[in-house]
Amino acid sequence: MYGWIWRHLPGNAWVKALISLVLALAIVFLLFQYVFPWAEPLLPFNDVTVDQGMGAAQQMGAVR
Amino acid sequence: MTVRLIVRTFSELCLTIGTLIVLFVVYVLYWTGVRADSAMDGELGRLQDRWSTGPVATASPAPDDGKPHEPAAPAYRDGEPFAVMYIPRFGRDWAKPVLEGTATGTLQKGLGHYARTARLGVTGNFAVAGHRRTYGDPFKDFPRLRPGDAVVISDGTTWFTYRIDKRPYRTLPGDIGVIDPVPGTSGYDGPGRYLTLTTCEPEWGHSHRLIAWAHLDATAPVVAGRPAALRS
Repeated sequence: MYGWIWRHLPGNAWVKALISLVLALAIVFLLFQYVFPWAEPLLPFNDVTVDQGMGAAQQMGAVR
Repeated sequence: MTVRLIVRTFSELCLTIGTLIVLFVVYVLYWTGVRADSAMDGELGRLQDRWSTGPVATASPAPDDGKPHEPAAPAYRDGEPFAVMYIPRFGRDWAKPVLEGTATGTLQKGLGHYARTARLGVTGNFAVAGHRRTYGDPFKDFPRLRPGDAVVISDGTTWFTYRIDKRPYRTLPGDIGVIDPVPGTSGYDGPGRYLTLTTCEPEWGHSHRLIAWAHLDATAPVVAGRPAALRS
């Protein structure tokens, strides 16, 4: 996989290394900006309320 | 040759997944805190701006005769900050914005006021949820709350000093009775001006909730300076 990418990058070894670095940073940025913020709420650390997952109906009912 | 290719691809895959997991841990433990701290600072700044440029605060402190606060105060807008909370037990510099609503995105920017509970300082239950871990760890020291601890909240015109009445109470996630106007199992036996704080329990889990109750102890106009609970 990585060997295949390396072989298909243009230029000499230095240019390849530079492009690889930029690619890696771009992937880390995408992960931190979009993928992780989406994935993190699926973990339990967000459940800090006592009425979560009760559905809107319950909340409306509680307003009375 | 094919075996070699398979083994190599497999190990590359494992390395990639391992790196992903490490990056995700860094994100959860560190980056959410960095983001939340800047978001909370932003919300505090917005509050300060609004309070310093808005109409002159003429509201007198809520009279302590059991009558509700005058309803002239503007309604809380969903996702918007409206108050600042101070809990000396959590540290001298501990000050967090309180936002309206408990949506996931709101709780990433500060503490969240349960929209269907009472307003600040009126008869009823002013209930607030906050993260214990991740997003700045605002309620990290929640179990250290003790009876008598002050929870001071400012809405720009009035300082509200609440006092914790019991050690934090552990309950199940569906126990919405704890944020009722007169919270069940809290020991309060009649209507009053209560405050409820909720967070998750155990620290990194979601099987239970930790609850702290307080009652309104004193109010003072903001122009009178910081209340005694914050000066000690």
